[in-house]
Parts: sequence; structure tokens; C-alpha cells
Amino acid sequence: MNERENVIMRSLGMQGRAFRTWVSLLGAIIVWGVFAYSLQFRHGLIETGMRDQISWGLYISNFVFFIGISHAGTLISAILRVTDAGWRRPITRLAEGITVVSLCIGASMILVDLGRPERALNVILYGRIQSPIVWDLLGVTTYLTGSLLYFYLPLMPDLAILASQPGIGNVRRRFFRLLSLGWTGTPGEWHLLEKAISVMAVAIIPLAISVHTVVSWIFAMTLRPGWDSTIFGPYFVVGAIYSGAAAVVLSMCIMRRVMGLEAYLEPIHFRNLGLLLLSFSGLYLYFNINEYLTAAYKFQGGEKVLLDRLFRGDYAPYFWTTQVVGVALPMLLMGTVLGPKRYRQFAIPGLGLASFLVIIGAWAKRYLIVVPTLSSPFLPIQRVPATWAHYSPSWVEWSITAAAFAAFLLLYTLLSKVFPVVSIWETRHTARSEEEEMVEVPASFGPRAWGVPAALPVLLICGLFLCTGAGRAQDSSSIKPGKQKPTAMSVSWKALPPEQTPPAEDARLVPPGSPEHIYAITRSLPIGWPGSEEGETGRVPSHSVIAVAAQLRDASGKPLAWQAVSFSLKTSLGKLDFGNLPTDGDGKAQLIVRDHRYGRYPVSVAYRGDDSHLESVGEVLVDFGPRPAPALPEAGVLIGPTFAPVIGLPFLAFYGSMWVVFVYVVGYLVSWRMRRERLRTSADARVAGFAPVLDGLP
Amino acid sequence: MSDTRRGFFQLLTRGGGALVVAGVAVKATTAHMSRSGLPARSLAPDNRKWVMVVDLAKCDGCGDCTKACTKMHFVPPLQEWIKVFEVTGNDAAGSYFLPRPCMHCDNPPCVRACPVGATYKRSDGIVMMDQERCIGCRNCIAQCPYSARSFNWGEPPHTPEELQAAYSVEHNYPHRRGVVEKCIMCPEMLRMGMLPACADTCKMGAIYFGDELEDAVTNSKGETMQFSQIAEKHSAFRLMEELGTEPRVYYLPPVNRKYPSPEEKHMQEDTPMHHAAS
Repeated sequence: MNERENVIMRSLGMQGRAFRTWVSLLGAIIVWGVFAYSLQFRHGLIETGMRDQISWGLYISNFVFFIGISHAGTLISAILRVTDAGWRRPITRLAEGITVVSLCIGASMILVDLGRPERALNVILYGRIQSPIVWDLLGVTTYLTGSLLYFYLPLMPDLAILASQPGIGNVRRRFFRLLSLGWTGTPGEWHLLEKAISVMAVAIIPLAISVHTVVSWIFAMTLRPGWDSTIFGPYFVVGAIYSGAAAVVLSMCIMRRVMGLEAYLEPIHFRNLGLLLLSFSGLYLYFNINEYLTAAYKFQGGEKVLLDRLFRGDYAPYFWTTQVVGVALPMLLMGTVLGPKRYRQFAIPGLGLASFLVIIGAWAKRYLIVVPTLSSPFLPIQRVPATWAHYSPSWVEWSITAAAFAAFLLLYTLLSKVFPVVSIWETRHTARSEEEEMVEVPASFGPRAWGVPAALPVLLICGLFLCTGAGRAQDSSSIKPGKQKPTAMSVSWKALPPEQTPPAEDARLVPPGSPEHIYAITRSLPIGWPGSEEGETGRVPSHSVIAVAAQLRDASGKPLAWQAVSFSLKTSLGKLDFGNLPTDGDGKAQLIVRDHRYGRYPVSVAYRGDDSHLESVGEVLVDFGPRPAPALPEAGVLIGPTFAPVIGLPFLAFYGSMWVVFVYVVGYLVSWRMRRERLRTSADARVAGFAPVLDGLP
Repeated sequence: MSDTRRGFFQLLTRGGGALVVAGVAVKATTAHMSRSGLPARSLAPDNRKWVMVVDLAKCDGCGDCTKACTKMHFVPPLQEWIKVFEVTGNDAAGSYFLPRPCMHCDNPPCVRACPVGATYKRSDGIVMMDQERCIGCRNCIAQCPYSARSFNWGEPPHTPEELQAAYSVEHNYPHRRGVVEKCIMCPEMLRMGMLPACADTCKMGAIYFGDELEDAVTNSKGETMQFSQIAEKHSAFRLMEELGTEPRVYYLPPVNRKYPSPEEKHMQEDTPMHHAAS
């Protein structure tokens, strides 16, 4: 170990008043936050400022913010590693630490936001892969595992190196030795480690991009103005990388100062990362313009209300301040300290300040994405207390948010005190002459194999459903004494065959290319309801035309002509009146029913009676044809309760393949191959009579 | 070395093959399920397609529907499962009242996005809400464009009668903290062949309710109409048709209103109750 590395050794000490004060301050904030959460846990989310209208607030903003910050590790470590940018070496560990810690905090924010945290396991028991929440669960857990691995793998040689140092405590030595998995530093091990890290670096880039994309999809999969946007995925990813890079720059500034890492974190690192941050601010500005200009140009519907509030309404001060503080000011500042030569001496504090502003702006932007949209719903907020229509976070929410930030800082501090903040082995051979190149971010995409089965033929024509039957006439005339003569009503019905069906006035022809046709085609696509296109559930029998005939006679059997009889049908909730019809010369009246009706219904025909005749009622049970089998609707694209392969499989395949990579890296490369390598080397060494060099380098 | 790698890739291909087989099996089972019947939770007791028609020309904004609903379901305070909005979007056209229950969409965004299936579509058209499964993530509230969902932010105040009842997904009480609540179209009443509370109470007879398969809707006055006919004759519309949610609640346009408009009503009462945020 040389002088430079001793700095790292010294940084691991947990002594010092400043450190203790810092940790106890953070600890106090966390204890306060835990107290606030205990209140919320006992009394429910009533302790927050959220209500029915604005039902997501600080917690969800924090969640998006921390997941965004977590992109630090990916950007700095994975992308720069894949593109082999040598200058990344001293800063990768810093960045990966931010990723791990911020993911833990971000994921816990979701738990804090749940109304029923004790039921969180339901997501696993009853999880529906169609839900964006489940995508997030999959994404965040996979990403957390991946970044833990990615943090841990390059740490292994360092742990072995540190465990062999004399100045290290016994507890920590044992701990490091355990974690280093018996690393000895043979060339074979180095080779395998490099391979494992490269594999992880390649895997973690699409993983990280997917994670922030699915976070954005929680919002983009809704119909709300401001969220219903197709560019939300890349917009969030760029915003996340921007804030993540800023977090790395800020932590570099602080670590350099606090831990005295001037020998590692040189101005060139700040300059390179600053240029990267500057280019990301440009990209983020571009996305902001794209997102808001396209909506503001049209100024349509719900977007209009929202944009009005953001641009010149009650949210305008926050919105414009956020844009200035989060994008414009940092751009200006970075342009100044990175551009003209005479200001370059201020590069490090300038970049530190710029990235601090970026982080503040990023958090405020998350808040401005979540809250204004919810407070501008399609239907106006009416008849609720004024405090429900406007969201102001309660002290509980602020306390938990403060505790989340404190927990982030504390975990990060402890992480950097337990493990070396700078990778020792990677920086040993940092060639100062290495190209100080700017690195383009490679676009990378996860495999998105949307297996679309062949579209099934369209079922357009359904056969006309025919049913016939005759009901027996029922006499239910009431006989009253007097001069009124009793009457009798006989009713019968039949379903008219198709050729006899008189042309209905309201029969509308469906021209080709009309929405009905388009619907028929989308229904046959395998989106939505599995199997619906082939089952009989999808086919609705056409309506039969029913003719109900009634004949009115008097007691002697003589038909009563020119009398009004009323037809009605008994439904499950009421009585549908068809009105009166006159009987003809034969005492007959006929009603033709063309209603869109299924099932059996009693149809009654009533004669009111007159001066010389008593009233009479006849009833018949008419069969309008069987009800269609119970089914869920098919209109539009209903994403059903059962597993939807078209949506589910790509997610499962993508995240599943990530887990395969993890298993490959840990199970195969690190555990299996490395151990064999070590056994072979030690056997060789026994034969050759020398011990492997612990501090060995590739 | 190459042996182990080959072995590993063999494992991968086998794993991939197993995944494909599993996928096909899942597809087959789900296809089978939708043929032989739906999952139990999606099946309604009766083979029906409930539909609601609100005649805006008849609604005078009295709010009896809300009160009846609140009484029947012991709805916690400040929640309105059916809420009477004052629509004032167009100055020239004047304002009118619009009762908004849950739309029971045929393409429900809430059901789509629920992570645990706590809210689900039933084959009779009702979008149900299971408070025993809900985790309180409130994703459905974010999803619903009609603001038809509420949340029990704290422990709702209870009444003895409410607590006496055993929880049933068909009446959704006793209420509990930390779960989402919404209009469920009174499936218990429908089971008994009665109108939902709101339709049953409306003294104007503005709310019609019925079975689309019967092609008939009935209001509190016992007036039964042919659904397809009044929908067509009155040019019925559905709220935010353009969103593609396919609501099961239809509105008849507020033409020839025979009641004081919201403005006139306010002038009479002189009590501003309008808190439109925008």
C-alpha cells in the first residue's frame, strides 16, 4: 500500500467528533421520522395531507426521486465501464453506493405510501402482471439485486487487500475476509472477476433504463392530463440519469473534501463528469420542451387546465423556479466553469453547486409531476372541504421525507465508512495518460419480444337466432255482477322468421370502414381477453322479432272489435309498457316487438273494459331467446383478471433473463469457477512451492 | 472450461424451453377458462348486464341519491359514492346538475391497473371492490378519470348497525381504514330484485336502472322504458366517451329542464357550495 492508498485506509475510521455529530444528527432525524411513521401506521394516512382528490403526494414524489438518483451507479459505472472510459475508475464505487442506498430508500417510500402496509404481501399472493405496480415491484427488486451485485463484485479484491492490512480492526478483518469469499488474487480469479463485472455492466444498463421506464409507466398508463404521455418513459429515464449524475458530482465534491481524496478525485474527473452532466442538462431541457410544448401548442381539454395552472396559475411560481433552478441555472453555471479557461479554477465548487441545484430541481420536478396532475382532474373538484382540493403536506409527511433523506445520507455515510469509497485495485494502475475522452451514452434496449400470434379470422356474421314457441292463453278475467258482460283475452306469440321480418325503420347499415368494423378487427387481435375471439362468449345472438297476438272475446266467444288493449311486459325491476292497440274486426291485435332483449318474460295484454264489458287480462310467457353466456365485456381492450400473456410474458422474460444473468454471474462465475480456479492454483502452488500473491494484479 | 460453459448454456436453453412450455400451458389454461366460464370472482350470481340511465333533464340537484346511498352503505363522511356535480363548462349553454356514480366501465382503467385484483369486473357489468384484499396503493384513484373512488384515510366512524353486519363484498361494510371505496351499484338490492338506493330514492325519477339484456330500465316512479329506444331517441351520451372506458352509465341530455338551474338555485339559497379548483 502506498501513501495514496493509506488515505483510503484512514477514511475507513469511524472516529472523530465531526463524524459522530453527523451520524447522531442524522440518527435523530431518522428517529423523528420513525416516530412520525408510527403515528401514521396507527392512525392511517389521515395523518398526511393527501385526500381523495390528491391521493399521491410527497411519498410518491420521493419514490420517483430516489429511483431517479439510483441511476447514478448505472451511468457512471456501467456505461463508462462498457465504453471503457478509464477516468471512471476512482468514481465508480461512489456512484454504485448511491445506487444501492437510494434504491433501498425509494422502495421503502412505496411501503410508507401504502394504506395497508401489512397487506403488502398481497402483491405476491394475488399479483397481476398487468398492473404497473407489479412491473415496478419486479423492476425495483431486480434492479436492487443487480446493483448490490454490481457494487459487491468490484469490492471483492479490495476487501481481500484491506483484510491483509495491519491497521485494520479484528472485527472488520474477519468481516472483510468473509465477504471477499477467499479471494487470493490469482490471474484466473482476476480474469473471472473482470468477466463477471463486464457481464453485469452490460446487463445493468437495460435493467436501469427499464426500471425508470416502468416507474414512469405508473403515471403514463393513466388517462390523466399531464401523465397521459407517450414520451414519459424516456423523459423519466433522462431526468433520472441527469439527477443521478448530479448526485455523483455532489458526492464527489463532498467526499473529496471530507475524506481528503484529492489524490484520487482530480479536476479531470470533475471536468469529464461535468461535461457529461452539462450534456444531460441539454438533453433534459430538450425533453422538457418536447413534453410541454406539444401539449401547450394544442392546449386541449384536461391538459389546458393543467398547463394553465403550471404556466401562469397557482403552480406557476414553483414550475418556473424549478425549471430555472433545475435546468437553466445549472446549465449556465456549468457552462461558465467548464468553458472559458479563466473560470476553470472554480470548476469543482461550481460543479458542486450546480449539481446541488440539479438535485433540488429534480425533487421539485417530481413533485410537480405528481401533484398538479392529481389536483386537476377531468371533473371539477366540488363539494369538498377547501383543504381537500389543495394538497399541502402534513408535518408527518415532511418528517418522513426528512427521515428518508437522512436515512439516505446515513446509509451512504456508513457505506463509505465500512467499505472503501474508491476502488483500490482499479485505481492502482490509473494511467494518467489515458484518453480523457467524453463518452457517448450508448442506447441500449432490453429484449422486448412481443410475441404476437397470428390474428385470428374475424367473426363478423352471426346467424340469425330463431326461436319459436307458443304460449297458451290464460284466462284471468274477473267476473263482476252487473250489466257488464265478462270478456276473455287470449294471447299467443310467435317469433317471426327472418324472411317475414318487416324491415325495421331503425335498421342501420354498417358501411365498410366504420368504427364497428374496426372494433371487430381489434377484438380478433389477441390483445386483452385470452380466448375471447374463439369462444361462444364473444358471440351475441341477434335479436329475434316477436309478434304477440291477442284476441278479445266476450263471454259468448264473439270477438270484440275496435277496443283498445294495452300490451306490457314484466321485467325484473318494472313493467315495460308498449301502449295501446285497437283490436280489428276479428277482435285481434298484434304487437311486433323488435327490442334488444333476451330471456323469458311474461307479456300481458289488458282490456280495460267499458260500460258494457268487464276488464280482462291475458298473459303469455314470451321467449326472446336465450341470454348470451355470462362474459366480461370485450369493447375496447379489457385487461382481464387472469394472466395476460401478451403483457405479462415480455416483463417476465426481461426480468427473468436478468435473474438468469445474476445466477450466471454469482452462481457460475464467482462461486463455482472462482473456487475451482483457487483450488487449482493452490494445488499448483503446493507443487511449485510458492504462495499466491494477495495483492496481485491482472 | 468449455464443458462447463456448454453445460450452462444447455441449462439456459432448457430453462428457456420450459418457459415457452409454461407460457403455452398458461395460455391454454386461460383460453380454457374463458371458454368454460370465468374466474369465480368475475362471475355474477345472475346472467345480467346492468345499465344505468340518468335523465339530466329531470335532475334538480337535490342530492337525495347521495343521501340514500350514504345511508344504505354507511358511507363514511365526506365520501360521496354518487356525487352530484354542477356542470358549468359552457356559459352559453348554462349549467346543469350531473349525478356521477361509478361508471362501471366495460374497459375499466382501475381494474386494469389494480396490482392485486382487489377491484374487478363482474360478468353482470359491475366493477366490484374488495376491501379485504386492497393494499391501499391508490393506483385506481389515479387511474379513474371520473374521480369516482374514495379512500378511507383514517379509521371511518362506525355505527352499531354497520358493525353488526359481516363484511360482504356486495355491501362493502363495515368500513375499514386504508382501503379504497366506491359505488358498487348495490348488488345486494339487485339480488332481491330491487333498484339501487340512488335510483330508488330519486323523487324526480331521473335515475333509471335496469338490465341491458332485458332492454328495459326502471326508475323510482315505476316507469319502465325500453333502454335502446330512450338511449337512441334522446341521443344518450356517456361521460368522456373519447377516453374509451365504455361506461355502463348513460346520460340523457339536459334539454327542456323543468327545475331551477344551479345558478338560480344558488341565488335562492345564497349559499355558495362551489369549490371548483380550476
